[in-house]
Amino acid sequence: MKQFLTQIINNRRIGADFFELWLRWDAPAPVPEPGQFLTIRISDDNVPLLRRPFAFAGYAEPSGAVSVIYQVRGRGTEILAARQPGENIDVIGPLGRPFPIRENQKKAVVIAGGVGLGPILFLADRLRSRDISTTLIFGCRSKSLIPDSVDFMNAKPVICTDDGTHGFKGNPIKYIAAKADIDNKTTIYGCGPVPMLRSLCKLNRPASAQIWISLEALMACGVGACMGCAVPTVSSGYSRACKEGPVFNGKEILWEQM
Amino acid sequence: MGTNVDMTVSIGSKSLPNPVGVASGTFGYGREYEELTDLANIGAIFTKAVTLKSRKGNAPPRIVETPSGIINSIGLANVGVNYFLSNKLPFLKTLPCAVIVNVAGSTEEEYLQVVQKLETAEEGIWGYEINVSCPNVKHGGLAFGTDPLQIEQLTAALRKLTPKPLIIKLTPNVTDIALIARAAEAGGADAVSLINTLVGMVIDTKKKRSALGTLTGGLSGPAVRPVGVALTYKASRAVSIPVIGMGGIMNTEDALQYLLAGASAIQIGTANFIDPQTPEKVLGGIRRYCEKQGVSSVTDLCWLATL
Ligand SMILES: Cc1cc2nc3c(=O)[nH]c(=O)nc-3n(C[C@H](O)[C@H](O)[C@H](O)COP(=O)(O)OP(=O)(O)OC[C@H]3O[C@@H](n4cnc5c(N)ncnc54)[C@H](O)[C@@H]3O)c2cc1C
Ligand SMILES: Cc1cc2nc3c(=O)[nH]c(=O)nc-3n(C[C@H](O)[C@H](O)[C@H](O)COP(=O)(O)O)c2cc1C
Ligand code: FES
Repeated sequence: MKQFLTQIINNRRIGADFFELWLRWDAPAPVPEPGQFLTIRISDDNVPLLRRPFAFAGYAEPSGAVSVIYQVRGRGTEILAARQPGENIDVIGPLGRPFPIRENQKKAVVIAGGVGLGPILFLADRLRSRDISTTLIFGCRSKSLIPDSVDFMNAKPVICTDDGTHGFKGNPIKYIAAKADIDNKTTIYGCGPVPMLRSLCKLNRPASAQIWISLEALMACGVGACMGCAVPTVSSGYSRACKEGPVFNGKEILWEQM
Repeated sequence: MGTNVDMTVSIGSKSLPNPVGVASGTFGYGREYEELTDLANIGAIFTKAVTLKSRKGNAPPRIVETPSGIINSIGLANVGVNYFLSNKLPFLKTLPCAVIVNVAGSTEEEYLQVVQKLETAEEGIWGYEINVSCPNVKHGGLAFGTDPLQIEQLTAALRKLTPKPLIIKLTPNVTDIALIARAAEAGGADAVSLINTLVGMVIDTKKKRSALGTLTGGLSGPAVRPVGVALTYKASRAVSIPVIGMGGIMNTEDALQYLLAGASAIQIGTANFIDPQTPEKVLGGIRRYCEKQGVSSVTDLCWLATL
């Protein structure tokens, strides 16, 4: 991990619900892996005070740039959405553990709900570059919330809407249960709201099909020092989302305590 | 540049390389920040609280942001004294800065046992900061911290166990800080440090319950700075041992307020989360201020103030 001032290359709205931010990511910053995140200092004033964490949504090797896909949720992301290309921004990253990819992996199903889109797009791209057959499933409430971006469409997502205005009617979990071909060689990855990830982990599936999920937690330090980002886990009682996570094996999480 | 200002600060029989420490619970066990700042520039690392047994800590959420502050409800989650000695101290003792172990317990006996165990370490521990002031645990902590008699007894009992600098960390959640600081001094403390966090509460109006996993938590950050400065002033006038001031220090200007109020040294807490380089920047700033003011030792700064 490194803390440095970097430059905003681009920061634009993609659809009704999402923004996409591109940042210069030159040496000496280590190259990010899918599942890892960075923290951004939003303001030099004390409001909002804490840095805000965001997962990497992509890494463009030749130009040395990273992207983040984010939703405006509160004050911090509102300020971020107003930042302009060319401006400097204080970042720390890459942080946390990435999604694991096995040596001989052949097949993957990756699921994104809402704000979980960024890391899942990055992951799908990486899996496909390793010739792993990958189905990308994206869920949102309605057609109007589907991100309007070439990268997203190029990833050939299966789109699920809760209201059925586009693609499959229902959430991604319902889609998987009904349609997806999951065998004992499939690895499943998910990022999105907790209820979605909880039902994903409870899904009927072959015992050897692993599930890896990425969790959000409120973070103060982002580097493992404050114990603020506790996630209830089977093996440790609590694990730090910023250090042992944000990617966890689905069976590690104590869902009833989430 | 700057070589002519003496930045050392004596506490008990020892001296700190400089007056800028990092506050307990905000800097882990040092290693977490190794890649983000040069640990050699830090005067003292005050470790995360160490208790007799490891503690899982409180149910999440453990952090909530407030205007210019945060409230935490970590619940002293830590690895326990044995693991600290075998797995955390080996790295810490390679550092040139002072390592001050923050000790917590729920009974007097527990505090004593932790310090006894820490005393078995041959090297690496510079001193102790006794946390009698954590608002986030059900038993002990805050209870000790608000009763002068208990503070004096606990300090006196700990004093018998160690010749190392013994710093008692005080809570701001009391009516008269002077009384509490004097009790620590009477028990034989080498210094007092303050402030720990202020009890605070945030209610999530959508869920109609506390925004934290617990009802209340501890407020820190810039929002508490004026409280910290005032209590540092009062405590420093009440005792003749050094006062280590903290609470909401974000930059040099904030740190100088504490030093002028009567603190001999300061700690940076919440600011580490926002900018891990804060301690380094503040140290440079204090040094430049000393040069500009023409003082030869940082401990002379307090004499400049007319309070
Ligand atoms: C590892 C990690 C990766 C993340 N990746 C992304 C991403 O790729 N894209 C994206 O849009 N968001 C992501 N988030 C969430 C993002 O950090 C929050 O949306 C952001 O901090 C909100 O800041 P705010 O000031 O706008 O909202 P606030 O005003 O602080 O809060 C608005 C609402 O969002 C909730 N919230 C605030 N911070 C967090 C948080 N850290 N985690 C979960 N909920 C939060 C609050 O409880 C509140 O309900 C990630 C979070 C984590 C921990
Ligand atoms: C997340 C967090 C954890 C803390 N843990 C401890 C602790 O274990 N022991 C202790 O004495 N103080 C603890 N504190 C209190 C700080 O050391 C410090 O006294 C307080 O935060 C005020 O300083 P600040 O405003 O600069 O953060 C903690 C504070 C925070 C924010
Ligand atoms: S956010 Fe501080 S330990 Fe994870």
